[in-house]
Amino acid sequence: MRRILVQACKELAQLVRDRLALAMTLVLPVMIVFLVGTSFKLTVSGLPIVVQDLDGSTASRGLIDAFRASITLHVVAWPVEKSPEDALQQGALAVLIIPVHFGRDILRGSDTPVQLLVDASDSNTARLMSGYAGGIVRAYNAANTPALQPVQASIRLWFNPGLSDKKYLGPGVFVLALSMFTPLLAALAMAKEGQRGTIQQVYVSSIPAHEYLLGNILAFMVVGAAECVPLLTLLFTYFGVRFAGDPLPFLVATVLYVFCVGSFGVMVGVAIPNQVGAISVVALGGYLLVFLLSGLLFPIANIPSGIRWISNFVWGKYYIQVVRDAFLQGGGWASTWREILTIGGFGSLFYLTAWGSMRRMQLKG
Amino acid sequence: MQGIGNTRFLALIRKEFSQIRRDRQVTLSLIVPPVLMVLLFGSVLNPTVSNLQLGVVDYSRTPESRELIATLSESESFEVAGNYLSTGQLGDEISHGNLEAGVVIPYEFGRDLQRGKPATVQFLLNAMDANTARIAQAYAENVIATYNSGLGNSGLNAVFKPIAAAGARHRSQVLLFPAFLFNPGLVASWFVVTGVFGMLCILNASIVSAAAMVKEREAGTFEQLMMSPAGTSSIIVAKIVPLFLLLCVMVVSAVALMRLVFHVPVRGGYLLVMLGAALCVLCGIGIGTFVATFTKTAAQAQLASFFVNPPLSTLSGALTPVQALPAWLRPLTNVNPIYHFGIIARGSMLRGSGLDTLWPHFLALLAFALVLVSLSVWRFRKQLS
Repeated sequence: MRRILVQACKELAQLVRDRLALAMTLVLPVMIVFLVGTSFKLTVSGLPIVVQDLDGSTASRGLIDAFRASITLHVVAWPVEKSPEDALQQGALAVLIIPVHFGRDILRGSDTPVQLLVDASDSNTARLMSGYAGGIVRAYNAANTPALQPVQASIRLWFNPGLSDKKYLGPGVFVLALSMFTPLLAALAMAKEGQRGTIQQVYVSSIPAHEYLLGNILAFMVVGAAECVPLLTLLFTYFGVRFAGDPLPFLVATVLYVFCVGSFGVMVGVAIPNQVGAISVVALGGYLLVFLLSGLLFPIANIPSGIRWISNFVWGKYYIQVVRDAFLQGGGWASTWREILTIGGFGSLFYLTAWGSMRRMQLKG
Repeated sequence: MQGIGNTRFLALIRKEFSQIRRDRQVTLSLIVPPVLMVLLFGSVLNPTVSNLQLGVVDYSRTPESRELIATLSESESFEVAGNYLSTGQLGDEISHGNLEAGVVIPYEFGRDLQRGKPATVQFLLNAMDANTARIAQAYAENVIATYNSGLGNSGLNAVFKPIAAAGARHRSQVLLFPAFLFNPGLVASWFVVTGVFGMLCILNASIVSAAAMVKEREAGTFEQLMMSPAGTSSIIVAKIVPLFLLLCVMVVSAVALMRLVFHVPVRGGYLLVMLGAALCVLCGIGIGTFVATFTKTAAQAQLASFFVNPPLSTLSGALTPVQALPAWLRPLTNVNPIYHFGIIARGSMLRGSGLDTLWPHFLALLAFALVLVSLSVWRFRKQLS
């Protein structure tokens, strides 16, 4: 037990002396959480929509005013002589074309068609745009027609009634940052020992493999915990997240997750005694897999089924579920015990793999 | 003098090519990343909202409510995942993540409709993911609107007409007809893949060029190069040329993948996109070379890229729309080559835009490339002299 602590202290001392590694631990995760959390929204506001009014009647101006009143759309008038496609080439996301007989048809009481050309290069924004426009037109119709609609929808938004992107993204990016930097430092440290040859000294010393590994893992768990502090501060202040229930599952899961990613880094570093190679593998496994397949940004259900099964092997996916539950849903132990056990399982698997490969090299003493 | 200069330069280039051929890591990073990034990002990053798992609680159990449920399940937006007996049960399923949405039809639903009173149907949406919730909201309102217009066929509309103003005038409705241009199938991958293309050019180019520059430094052979008659600029440019050519091969394979796997159209012609990609690669090489002037080992160069790549990738509109960035961050996109190339790629490939609309972005890329490469050459010269 004492040797584990000594090993951990030695590892931490070496880390503190490496200035680049220190900057990576403290500065980079915060920068990434802030950047990605701020910019990875899908919701756009101030969508530029161009209106071409071929009619110019009071009724058409009323419709345009309805669009102008929306805060999500930014209406720009387009001269009648220019082609609507030009507007789309120049950066408008949609063109609303009000036909010549609009006012006349409204007065006559017949239904009037209005065309909306949408730039669908970004299919998600195109759907949002079409949805907003449809809502505005429905409201315009309802205001003009005193007849009651038979059925109305009352929509309740759960867990994030303010539809804040930050509350959803913040926890996800927190997990991404943890998944990347702790294993990176761990893999680097282990690979450096292998590259420099100092690992041979470990093999001939009397420290058994499991104590050496656990000491290293403990050191990087401390690093991970140190990372959590500025990250959680950022989450609570800038992202405006709060605990939605029992914080204990989150704390337990975080300790287990830091153990899991630390073990992953140590495992990679022991297996690949080459710094550049170790960085690549951690970047691939820690960052890319977690970024793409853990449900961090886009729902897992959208991943084609041929690839979706891989997400079951991504440890970040389970931790994200626990974190989201802790900050948004508040389900507590009942909703998260399975995920917490899985995280612990992954961590043990990585540790055992590292121990297996180290044990073979050790001299029996 | 010119003849001697040329053979010297060509000799340097030949030496670089043979070094690269022997380095398996460089060739690997020219093949694996394009395939991985384009295929993975294009298929996985999909924000499309459809087939939302919907739970139904029908307290009414009348033909009208069953008609509503049928309308819901016929739409592509929702998939009826189960009928539940109480709102509490429904709520639990949503909390546990088994359902994404729920609909509760009240007991008086059928009765109210028969009597001509308006009825309210409650939708419960899991709004954790704001984007999905917004689109699901629009879908729900759409389905209700469809159901309302369908009621006309069942004669219930007649019941509602007397409530309208006593005047025989039928109030007209504005009918909105949306037409989706450039991507009528609303394929999500087209947006992602054109953005990833830019990320690929810059990130891969910067990593490969930084590694190439730093390797010379690590091995200590830069001093040997300095002792040769070649000038510093020609040494560095000679290093850049083979990388540039190999990265152009990567660009071609990326475009081939985009065409073959994702069927992305190339409406503006291949020439424009390739030209833009070549400029983008040059920018990436400039970034990598510049980073290499600050680092001494290959591992350090790789770690330095972790400082440079995230801001470049996120503040670029590559994977998410630029309009989603907060207003104070948006000016930063103008100094980001990935942003400019994203506009070139999407404008040219999807919208068929020509040089007349895209020239500012080409100019920006050219400017960045020139500035970065000159800065790196200047720094290297200062360090080595």
